[in-house]
Amino acid sequence: MNNRRPRRAAVTGIGVIAPNGMRTDAYWKSVSEGISVLDSVTREGCEQLPLRVAGEVRAFDPAALIEDRFLVQTDRFSHFAMAGAALALDDAGLGGEPAEPFSIGVVTAAGSGGGEFGQRELQKLWGRGSKFVGPYQSIAWFYAASTGQISIRGGFKGPCGVVANDEAGGLDSLAHAARAVERGTDVMVVGAAEAPLAPYSMVCQLGYPELSTLDDPARAYRPFTEKACGFVPAEGGALLVVEDESRARDRGVPVRATVAGHAATFTGASRWAESREGLARAIRGALDDAGCAPEEIDVVFADALGVPEADRAEALAISDALGAHGTRVPVTAPKTGIGRAYCAAPVLDTVAAVLAMEHGQVPPTPNVSDICHDLDLVMSRARPAELRTALVLSRGLMGSNAALVVRRGDDSAR
Amino acid sequence: MITTEVTYEELAALMKQAAGITVDPQELRQSAESPFDAFGLDSLGLLGIVGELENRYGASLPPDSERCRTPREFLNLVNSTLTAGA
Repeated sequence: MNNRRPRRAAVTGIGVIAPNGMRTDAYWKSVSEGISVLDSVTREGCEQLPLRVAGEVRAFDPAALIEDRFLVQTDRFSHFAMAGAALALDDAGLGGEPAEPFSIGVVTAAGSGGGEFGQRELQKLWGRGSKFVGPYQSIAWFYAASTGQISIRGGFKGPCGVVANDEAGGLDSLAHAARAVERGTDVMVVGAAEAPLAPYSMVCQLGYPELSTLDDPARAYRPFTEKACGFVPAEGGALLVVEDESRARDRGVPVRATVAGHAATFTGASRWAESREGLARAIRGALDDAGCAPEEIDVVFADALGVPEADRAEALAISDALGAHGTRVPVTAPKTGIGRAYCAAPVLDTVAAVLAMEHGQVPPTPNVSDICHDLDLVMSRARPAELRTALVLSRGLMGSNAALVVRRGDDSAR
Repeated sequence: MITTEVTYEELAALMKQAAGITVDPQELRQSAESPFDAFGLDSLGLLGIVGELENRYGASLPPDSERCRTPREFLNLVNSTLTAGA
């Protein structure tokens, strides 16, 4: 451990498995061009359900990316996570056997675990009896499955964790990993992936009053507009490699960003008016943690739930926390083009924030062309901008609020 | 109850089906004294194979079967149990 100066968590690897593209380049191309891939749900068994539109990952072939012995014991959400982790590790130049297994840890966030695997085994239980339920049901559904399988597959023996903390847990996992790095772990694989589009998982979501049930993909998810009618769910996720910044520089790999600050609050399930204060407190906390003035925030990646009351609370929270800067800073919500993948949604936003800073562009908010709040929401096309610091916001349906500040990699060297 | 013993071929196929592990039956036979670990089979994987055999042959296997360490030990126990009732 380097005691001469505080250790800082640097993002050195990104792995994306998203509805609008697998791998970082494809994801950024789609995000920066504002392409919406929201579409009719095609999953078998979902045809009659009142959820009509979602963000599906259709090009994903788990067998091409993951060994059979892992496939048989894992749910689709872990397939996304394992594939994303491998991409992120390769991106960071850390693929292959780890030289020091105890120096690499894993933390993921999960919203609901392995619903598809669980449904299959429960159908066997119901249809054929308990002897036909496979033993891997004991681990595949579990929230911690992705963390465990990424660790086992990679041979990582450093500190592991899982954040089962609502949607905003995706940001909390990044904070958890950053703290692990600050405390002395060299490398953390971190992020979230979700697979909420199997029939059983989907039925679980139908009770959310915030869920959009429109059947027109172009109109189903339009946060901040007068026509806002809820959110569209998505599957997929993103994993990142974060590591000690000085170690990354010693290894000679690019520092793509640094995790600068984070804070989280809780305001209760579906209490969206209260989320105004909760989110504002989280933003202020994250700025304090980062040692960042409100005016330094160059772009905000909004939670953008698409529920009028929640959208109003978020717009006000941004102004509450950032002052007059809150109505001038560019705000975006690329998730309107892919849907909300629960815990993975803010991790995908964090990836978009890192890429936005690298490319000097604020990506647009697909399907949104006019808004009814005092925000500078970037619409229709990407806006060129010098971006050094980004703020990522997330709220969960159960009441968690979180804010994360990330800084551009080349700036953090100064 | 069975009249023909469970073979290394059948065990190899079960390892593929239940645990996703590809192993050549010849190699399994030749390395029958090697621990299951060496083939990449963990305890849950073996438990799944036990369950599949029980369902396939409509018979219960002894609790010891999921604790067998090698293919030979496992097949000896499975076959002595399944053929005993014949």
